[in-house]
Amino acid sequence: MSSVNGVVPTIIIIAGLALAAYALLMTALNRRMGLSLLAALGVLEILLLVLIVIIVARLIGGGRPAGLGVLIGYLIAMPIVPVAAGFWGALERSRWGSAVVAVAGLVAAVLMVRLHEIWPAIRV
Amino acid sequence: MSEPTTSPEAVTPAEAGTSPEPAPSPPESTRTGPGRLLVAVYGLFALSASARAAVQIATKFGHAPVAYLLSAFAAVVYIIATATLTSGSLRARRIAVVSCSVEFVGVLAVGTWSLLDHGMFPDATVWSGYGSGYGFVPLVLPVFGLLWLRRWSRRAKSRRR
Repeated sequence: MSSVNGVVPTIIIIAGLALAAYALLMTALNRRMGLSLLAALGVLEILLLVLIVIIVARLIGGGRPAGLGVLIGYLIAMPIVPVAAGFWGALERSRWGSAVVAVAGLVAAVLMVRLHEIWPAIRV
Repeated sequence: MSEPTTSPEAVTPAEAGTSPEPAPSPPESTRTGPGRLLVAVYGLFALSASARAAVQIATKFGHAPVAYLLSAFAAVVYIIATATLTSGSLRARRIAVVSCSVEFVGVLAVGTWSLLDHGMFPDATVWSGYGSGYGFVPLVLPVFGLLWLRRWSRRAKSRRR
């Protein structure tokens, strides 16, 4: 059985939670979304893209999860999360833009757990 | 049917351009300020609930028809709430109040139902167990939505006077 290396999902969980904590701190400090949060979202996006490449490589290599359709849906939705949060948060001139970024970080972490449930070969 | 452009909430470009933006400026619409976060979370649930319902109904509808139809219903409610909160017109806010109320009643009803009758829910919906599968966000979301909309209806009333 092919397995996907657990390092990248674990890094994404840690990065997502760290981003959420940092963004919530910015929200508490009444700061709008700035360059630092935008850069952090960029890092999260790159990590998610790396994971997608790893998973697609495993699929091409012959790995088949039970819920293939759901997995493909996740692969499509995953990279949209940081981008959508970046645009939506940047439109906001108040602290609530930072709060939107916090949601994206939490969602990225939750997505890793769900991915593991869909395809246990994706280790966390 | 949209709000007339002379509505008291409309900010003319001249006003917006000349003001040097006061630090804690009040939100201009239901999608700004705290509404920015609210719309983001509603959008997230609209997307995930629709995708989940679509997959469930397309692949294994006979397994748990009631649960899957309720998933689809929840998805529609989330889509309406996202769209109306984003729009923010008077009519949209009225629809949003109804959809958030339906959502809250739905979470409570389906949550209670799912606890009492496991046989009807062999597979979970967004609202099963009061949204426990989603960190109880489905339970608190309509409450924040209704509080946010109430603030807007109060503001509209005070401006009319």
